Amino acid sequence: MPRLPNTSPQTLSVLELLLESPRSWHYGYALSQLTRLKSGTLYPILMRLADQGLLETRWAESEQPGRPPRHTYRLTAEGAKTARAKLAETAPAKMPRRLASVTGGR
Amino acid sequence: MQIRGFTERLADRLARQLLRWLHRRVEPGSREWLDALTAESECADNGWQRLRWALGAVPLVWTINRRRHMNEATRGTVRARFAPGVANVAAIAGWYAVIIPATYGAARFFHCTLYFGDQPGGCQEHPFVFGSIVLGGAVLGMLTALAWRARFAAYWWAVFSVVNTVGFVWFLGSGIADVPRYGATQSAMLMAATFGVVLAAIMRETLSRRSIAAHLIAGTISFAAADSLIRIRDSQLAADNVNHYAVLGSAVFAAILAGLIGRYGSRLSAKGPMDRTPTERSL
Repeated sequence: MPRLPNTSPQTLSVLELLLESPRSWHYGYALSQLTRLKSGTLYPILMRLADQGLLETRWAESEQPGRPPRHTYRLTAEGAKTARAKLAETAPAKMPRRLASVTGGR
Repeated sequence: MQIRGFTERLADRLARQLLRWLHRRVEPGSREWLDALTAESECADNGWQRLRWALGAVPLVWTINRRRHMNEATRGTVRARFAPGVANVAAIAGWYAVIIPATYGAARFFHCTLYFGDQPGGCQEHPFVFGSIVLGGAVLGMLTALAWRARFAAYWWAVFSVVNTVGFVWFLGSGIADVPRYGATQSAMLMAATFGVVLAAIMRETLSRRSIAAHLIAGTISFAAADSLIRIRDSQLAADNVNHYAVLGSAVFAAILAGLIGRYGSRLSAKGPMDRTPTERSL
């Protein structure tokens, strides 16, 4: 049976992190460090979320001179709604560890 | 300390080279996400971290190009339908054009005869001949396919290299020195699976709707073709059994693989062409 979209533990951990501050812009490197996802896992997830209209992207000037602009991300209103729904629906066993500890493994 | 500094600089250089090389592998209109990953690589604290980060660009580029390829394939132009299929077939045919003369060349170099049995003086006295040819050939095939942008063939040869490596190590470890027979079995598997996969590739590129039945037919044809070829070459019963199972297994594998491709392709075509990212649309 095919898996429902956006319910993998990796995607859920990204959604969970973005949902902590849905109106803030997040950098890919920081997301990778906080979710412990490798770049090769994280970016395809971000791509997919952006394609589905759940993620807003923007290029921002780097704070350090001489460095290229950085790509930043935040959830759209639809994305925040979907993220909440997905995280609530997900069985405790599939939940990211960080989320399970917050919700008491509900 | 100096060595550590040197290795870090080396890793940093490798990371940057890898990102530059991958950048060239992506069409200009589809580079947004690769550029994003590349920009973030500047945040890495040292060369090794940067290299680890840059390695993530490999699956990312694969994803980007696969999506672009799917978008093109669903546009319905003649080129989009036939060119990738032809490139894949050409890449695999090109591999055969190299591997067959190489096999015979190696047999000549080692002054042995290509027997498919256990005759004295056969290439079984040089157990690494076939292994090196098959592995080297598979890698060469993969590179050729990549150079021709025949992705399907490239992935196929990559999988084949891995399967052959595991199979060859197992074979040598088992203490059986009958490498020519192993070579024959490998050839049977190669022929059957390749034939099935090539047919599947053609169907994938040319048909808008794939059916599992068509792919099973591809697997069955490949089984019949390879099995009959092997029976012509090797009439020994034991060899027939070995080859029979090898061919049957590889044909089933080809059919399953083809079915998976068809299922994946059908799911995409049912959804319709994928939308481009907002940034790509604005470009």
